[in-house]
Amino acid sequence: MAIYLDHNAGSPMRPQVRAALAALNFSGNPASVHHSGQAARSVLEQARARVADLIGARPTSIVFTSGGTEANHLALLGVLEADPARRAIVTTAIEHSSILHPLEHLARTGVQVRIVPPDSQGRVDPAELIAHVDHQTALVSVGLANAEVGTIQDLSGLADAAHRAGALLHLDGVAAAGKMALAVDELECDLLSLSAHKLGGPAGSGALFVRDRARIRPWLWAGAQEHGMRAGTPNLLGAAGFGIAASIVRDEWSAEMARLAPLAAEFASHLMVEIPGLRANHPAAGGLYNTLNFTFPAVRGETLLIALDLAGVEVSMGSACAAGAVEPSHVLLAMGRGEGAARSSLRISLGYTTTAQDLAAAATIIPRVWRQVAQAEGVQAMAS
Amino acid sequence: MKTRVVVAMSGGVDSSVAAAMLAEQGYEVIGIAMRLAAEEGGAARRNACCGYEDFEDARRVAQRMGFPFYVIDLRAEFDRRVIEPFVGAYLQGRTPNPCLLCNRDIKFDRLWSRARALGADFVATGHYARIESDSDGSFRLLRGLDSSKDQSYFLFTLSQEQLARTLFPIGAMTKAAVRRRAADLGLINAHKPESQEICFVPDNDYARLVGERAQPGRIRPGDITDRAGRVLARHDGIHRFTVGQRRGLGVAASEPLYVQEIRPADGRVIAAPHAALTSAGLRAAGVSLVDPRSWESDRHPIEVRIRYRHPPLPASLALMDGARAEVRFDKPGPAVTPGQACVFYRGDQVLGGGIIEAALEVRA
Repeated sequence: MAIYLDHNAGSPMRPQVRAALAALNFSGNPASVHHSGQAARSVLEQARARVADLIGARPTSIVFTSGGTEANHLALLGVLEADPARRAIVTTAIEHSSILHPLEHLARTGVQVRIVPPDSQGRVDPAELIAHVDHQTALVSVGLANAEVGTIQDLSGLADAAHRAGALLHLDGVAAAGKMALAVDELECDLLSLSAHKLGGPAGSGALFVRDRARIRPWLWAGAQEHGMRAGTPNLLGAAGFGIAASIVRDEWSAEMARLAPLAAEFASHLMVEIPGLRANHPAAGGLYNTLNFTFPAVRGETLLIALDLAGVEVSMGSACAAGAVEPSHVLLAMGRGEGAARSSLRISLGYTTTAQDLAAAATIIPRVWRQVAQAEGVQAMAS
Repeated sequence: MKTRVVVAMSGGVDSSVAAAMLAEQGYEVIGIAMRLAAEEGGAARRNACCGYEDFEDARRVAQRMGFPFYVIDLRAEFDRRVIEPFVGAYLQGRTPNPCLLCNRDIKFDRLWSRARALGADFVATGHYARIESDSDGSFRLLRGLDSSKDQSYFLFTLSQEQLARTLFPIGAMTKAAVRRRAADLGLINAHKPESQEICFVPDNDYARLVGERAQPGRIRPGDITDRAGRVLARHDGIHRFTVGQRRGLGVAASEPLYVQEIRPADGRVIAAPHAALTSAGLRAAGVSLVDPRSWESDRHPIEVRIRYRHPPLPASLALMDGARAEVRFDKPGPAVTPGQACVFYRGDQVLGGGIIEAALEVRA
């Protein structure tokens, strides 16, 4: 059995989610009037209440989507559409591509995109974000925690500043959910993106928390599902699984953190000792407890990733593509790492399936495989 | 412990069968596809190898045979070691052979270094060529048994050291047998058509690629002249021509004219009747020998192939300093094309080869 250390890419579906989905029995469209439709509807609404509960929101503020990517699109496009007079968006250089790529597109259509860089630990200064907010600003969009390096952003004063300028605050909570306290009223955000499969729910399911529906317009047009925010028959199985996973992490996240945080720290310091020249890219303190990111000396990350897979340890590069076009992580580049360092970096992310034995085994395997790869690739890896 | 072998997989039937056979023979197979060229060209490249769909074909073969499969990104290396020299050669009035460079610098060099890092003992490919070892521990490179598919021409740069760690599992099979084998194994690509184009040149329009990649000002129009210097026509750039080419000269003449010579210095393309294209042999550079130990500087009787699809010509080979050689055909031969490989054979055995620099003129 492989040791799975790629929870930030997707947590294995939880057994309780699997069981609940297998037991589900509905036969109608949740928008239908009849009994069958109402039964389906109740599945959907129960899921909505569970997801809302994870972030301290009212159920009516949850819009189910096809995942985090669609939730982010709805936030960006929906807010611009609702107030055409405001044409500026403030964000950071380390957002997920489902924020940065649509923004690239929007910039070509005349939207002013203001991008704030992070420091070497992935932290963005809230004052710098605030300095870019003005009466042109429609939205401030920030990833609450970064999926690649785990940095949790300091949002001090950001919500206030955005609201004073008449702008909205969107948080991408995909990486943060289930790993830290997440209450929309404390965060004072207007929009929050979530994804089910990062919590051990099914892939292809997500949600956007929308505080005030008057401030956002849908961008899928058809029926009035999801309070008119997202047309199309909702993914009932996806939503139901999302709901179960959300309930579990709501109840268990702090115990999980207490269990895994010390193991992760011990594991990281073991690697630092065993691999001379290893550099941590995750923040020294105050990051997601489950997310580690290292630049490995004298190897290509791509080769090390494959060699580790062959040795039964599953990790990832920040961003990868099945077709093999490996681009250096834009997050690491924005944090000031060189291209060579970015290409030599791997992310190791823990989760509910991770045991102390897993980490002990990985702590032996990773240095051994690194030595094998480094011996063969050596500095040549850096030169070409 | 099983012997670990990295198989270069394109998604085509040859490399798929090669990988499947090694897996059957008990090797620990790791399938690797190489991402070589950027995505530009999109649908136009669908029929060339190394596209996304081809990778998925390779992945399905790996799943069926139960071995791991990965795609690795060699775009930067391929660009620097294959595409750049390819463009540069055309701008020099030469006709490059990118498959040769890809074998030499990518498959049997860069891929090997990745394979070694993955703990592999061998790299295998789906080439139609054979490797045999002699009792003294030296290796011989032989033509593929299917003479219509033989790819040994593209492999002459392989050294003893490389041959020792290389496997050609289908080298002793015919294409028909490979396809039958694929069908027997239930591989999805048993009947997949072969790729013919150069994998990184969309629509086979290499002139467009050269035009896009050349430094500004490097492509200049020039004259097409006869041997005496009489201007017959104008052209848009020497990269559009190859020695021996007949079509596309845009010259009306009483007899068909062929490109006899390309002169990068003044941008002239010299056209001549077919009879004038004969040559007595060639000078080659970048010469390498599969087994250098047995060679002296004297003349050696060989057969030489001056293009992939050309039949071998009887010739004598003289090796010179600086990895140079002179090959003299036993009787006057066809036009030789600078930039193409000349490969030395003795029967089925590949002795070595080089890159054609120039023709030896036939003495009157």
